[in-house]
Amino acid sequence: MKVCKELLYRDVMNYTPIDVIKGMDMITKKIVMADDPAPAGYKIKPKCKFCKNFLVDDKNASLGICKASKNNFMAYPDMIATTCKDYEGTDL
Amino acid sequence: MSKAAKKGLIMGKKLSDILTNAGISLDTKVGGKASDGLSQREIKREPGKRAKKLRDIYYKTLSSADNEFPYWYSRKYFELDGEIPVVRRAAALKEAFSHLTPSIYPSELLITQKTFNYRGSFPMPWLSEGYYMAKEDEFYKEALKRGGTSADEHSKFGSGGGNVTKSFGKVVSLAGKFGMRQEEVPVLLKIAHLWHGRSVDDLGHKYEQMVPDYEIKENIMRSLVCMFDSGYTLPQGREVTNYYYPLQHGFDGLIKMAEEMKSKVAGRADGDGMAGMNRLYNYEAVKLVVEGIQTWILNYVNELRRLEALENDKKQKSEYKKLADMMKWIAHNPPRTFHEALQMCWTIHVAVLNEDAISGLSPGRLGQVLYPYYEQDIEAGRITREEALELLECMRVKFTCLDCFASMGVVGGVLSGNTFNNLSVGGLDKDGNPASNDLETLILESGITCATPQPTLSLLYDDKLPEDFLLKAVDCIKTGTGYPAFMNNRIAMKFLLGNYGPEGLTEGEARAWAIGGCLETSPGSWMPLTLNNKKYFIPGGSAQPTSVGVHFISLPKILELVLFNGVDQRTGERVFPDHGKKLQNYDEVFSAFKDYFCKTVDVLALCNNIQHDIWRKNNMAVFHSLLKPDCLTNGHLINEMGYRYNATFNVETTGNINLVNSLVALKKLVYKDKKLSLEELRTALKDNFGFKKAEEVKSYSLLDQEKYSESSKWDELHFMLLKAPKYGNADPEADDVLKEWEDWFTSVCRNYESLYGKPYYACQISVSTHGPMGAVTIATPDGRLSGTTFADASLSAYPGTDRNGPYALMTSATVWDHSKSQNSQLNIKIHPTAIKGPAGSKKLLELTCAYMKKGGFHVQYNVVDSKILKDAQAHPENYRDLMIRVAGFTQYWVEIGKPIQDEVIARTEYEGV
Repeated sequence: MKVCKELLYRDVMNYTPIDVIKGMDMITKKIVMADDPAPAGYKIKPKCKFCKNFLVDDKNASLGICKASKNNFMAYPDMIATTCKDYEGTDL
Repeated sequence: MSKAAKKGLIMGKKLSDILTNAGISLDTKVGGKASDGLSQREIKREPGKRAKKLRDIYYKTLSSADNEFPYWYSRKYFELDGEIPVVRRAAALKEAFSHLTPSIYPSELLITQKTFNYRGSFPMPWLSEGYYMAKEDEFYKEALKRGGTSADEHSKFGSGGGNVTKSFGKVVSLAGKFGMRQEEVPVLLKIAHLWHGRSVDDLGHKYEQMVPDYEIKENIMRSLVCMFDSGYTLPQGREVTNYYYPLQHGFDGLIKMAEEMKSKVAGRADGDGMAGMNRLYNYEAVKLVVEGIQTWILNYVNELRRLEALENDKKQKSEYKKLADMMKWIAHNPPRTFHEALQMCWTIHVAVLNEDAISGLSPGRLGQVLYPYYEQDIEAGRITREEALELLECMRVKFTCLDCFASMGVVGGVLSGNTFNNLSVGGLDKDGNPASNDLETLILESGITCATPQPTLSLLYDDKLPEDFLLKAVDCIKTGTGYPAFMNNRIAMKFLLGNYGPEGLTEGEARAWAIGGCLETSPGSWMPLTLNNKKYFIPGGSAQPTSVGVHFISLPKILELVLFNGVDQRTGERVFPDHGKKLQNYDEVFSAFKDYFCKTVDVLALCNNIQHDIWRKNNMAVFHSLLKPDCLTNGHLINEMGYRYNATFNVETTGNINLVNSLVALKKLVYKDKKLSLEELRTALKDNFGFKKAEEVKSYSLLDQEKYSESSKWDELHFMLLKAPKYGNADPEADDVLKEWEDWFTSVCRNYESLYGKPYYACQISVSTHGPMGAVTIATPDGRLSGTTFADASLSAYPGTDRNGPYALMTSATVWDHSKSQNSQLNIKIHPTAIKGPAGSKKLLELTCAYMKKGGFHVQYNVVDSKILKDAQAHPENYRDLMIRVAGFTQYWVEIGKPIQDEVIARTEYEGV
């Protein structure tokens, strides 16, 4: 899995959501804000937007399609994909 | 604004002052004199460190919604176009469960939750896709036209606690309560559009329009004579679930059973030419759903292993490992210990709640279900009472984190954000002996130490229960949580035998009942559990959802329509055709009332039958069905009456006591004593006795209402109505009217038939509907003013009108036979000092036993000083953890809307018992 810089908490593996604005940093056990930057070295959480099978919608960046689905079903960038068998991480 | 109204803004003369000046008192404090200072509740304890830590997270958590479950469900569902409906639904459920992201937090001993958020939920657009849309959206406008969102317009949430009542930052508020991240809203809308024309709401609407008099149904919904449809809002719930089959056989065992049964039934009708062949598809569906749930549990195992590897703290690392091992075991096998069994029950509970939109999924008599594991663990030294208490405290936090995603009108107007996971204790065992046990004592203890709204507790009262157990319950009540409520075992069994006897319910099996939802008596069954070669009989639910069918008819609103010949005085719209009666005597009024009431029930029952029929064709419960007897053995799910008991549809009412008091006033003052004419009364009601509307005053309790002018034109008439005999004082003049009404109402419901071919029955609870339904009802002949909240429950007195003490109130309440109804509801507010100390506890218990002996079905107590509630209303920031009993449920004060807060403050406070 990629080690990235300048990731937000909500995009890293060791962030467990509590609600729409905050979650827990599972390393420090502290409650942190979802949109705050994560410490350097935190690994990305699998999400559609980090997946090779996700094709973003040209007209609406909040939507796209999953190329791994039958009939190219819709998908959305922020969906967590830790349980998706078709997830293929991409280079950032 | 009229001149008079402008003048009123200046004058603002309150009813309480007007009454005082006139020497009339609606004293809301009776029976003694409490101190002038703030009186705290006598018993207050704290949970252990672990539960406290987890509860503290909850206090700071927002209700949060996301799209993970609906996304995966929809993706698979539309992929399987053309598949057999039950298999298609099961495959979609499997896909959704398999993809739920697991979240686990340090210190947790019980895991699995609805979504990756601590207090998470999600919309189910396959049920309805309109209500959570922006008001400008075409779907929302369509729902508004149908009347499906009328309740939303008059429902209020408290703005504190975890409610997201307004959008902020990157968070969008949905249905007035749930927060969703802005970046998820486009996919929410896109998924909703996929279901347009396919949801239960839309398909139901297509076909309900074919019901004769359908227009009246829309009128009823728009004017809020009825609160909401049930088929697409909360199609399941108000029932008791059943954990037996997974506990006994494990999930692998269930798959094995389904596979074996498939072989037995494939291609065979076995004498049932209508549905016999369906069994094959049903068993296939069962297998698919169980596989999905196993994958979901195993995803938690994976996450636990990851966290274990990451963790440096030895104790926490070891707990992750233990949890991972335990989850891996119960993903496949029957539980072996109390901890495993509790974890399995919790996981099943969440799974059922994720399968469908449900409020009031009760765990039933969980302390009796889990007792075999507890007993054997204690005997073997595998667990201590303290460790068991810690687990139960953790369970309370988990239950409290549950949210139910539904419309503003439903979640706010009816439920006040509550989810009604009602846990019952006490009652009798299979052989008629007291069923209470040491684990149930610990459940009561955890309700004291870890006070949270969920699970609420109900005590199934029987004379045989030991006094120390009952006094433990009183201790719990004295914490002020409002639970346990007391329900009468004898009355419940009589009701159950009457209602379910035709389906084969015996006296022995009737003893397995429990409360579903807030107060819905539900039948159960005794199931033979074998643990380490020892056999036990454990109780569990075996019936369909209740409180489905006709949901909350506003009785005072119907009376308004009778008095004004079918026209809603708030909107000016005609709801019913002219009743054609001149109302020249009381009998004519009562007769017109019955006519409108019957028309209401008739059209609503027909339309809701259609909605539920659509639900059962495409959205049937698969997982929940397999849990309940006898689906696994007969091969039929809920939709094919696979459950043991199916006569569960009912007619719910609200505003019972305002109706009774109004009828009393009409009967005595207009027709018997001829103190005023009906025309005078109508004019006074329309003019709201010279008062402003409650919405203008921003208070929903009677005494706070303000005059819009100095005129005393209506005062004398208003005083006369307020002084007319009132329910709750052991006054036969009022109580006879209650009895006449109840005798008729409880019998007439039997004339209506559910889609399952069973008769409806009466259900009498208000939940929170007395707020919004009062808000749309003009002044009533009992002297209540326009827009103010009705009396709560079905047998609580109207605030300030019960003057003769609690025993008199209970005498009034029991003039009719409570076993003719699924329930009745009496709430009493008591000042903490009135029942202080051991002597006070005994007084409260004696009062309760006396009510049960008289034939009362239910009583619950709010032990609170009203002055604290007023302070909490003024300074909510100081009261995040204050809880209050409303009507069948306990809720955080800050999450309750103002109309209900005002009503709870206004309730008569007994300062002595």
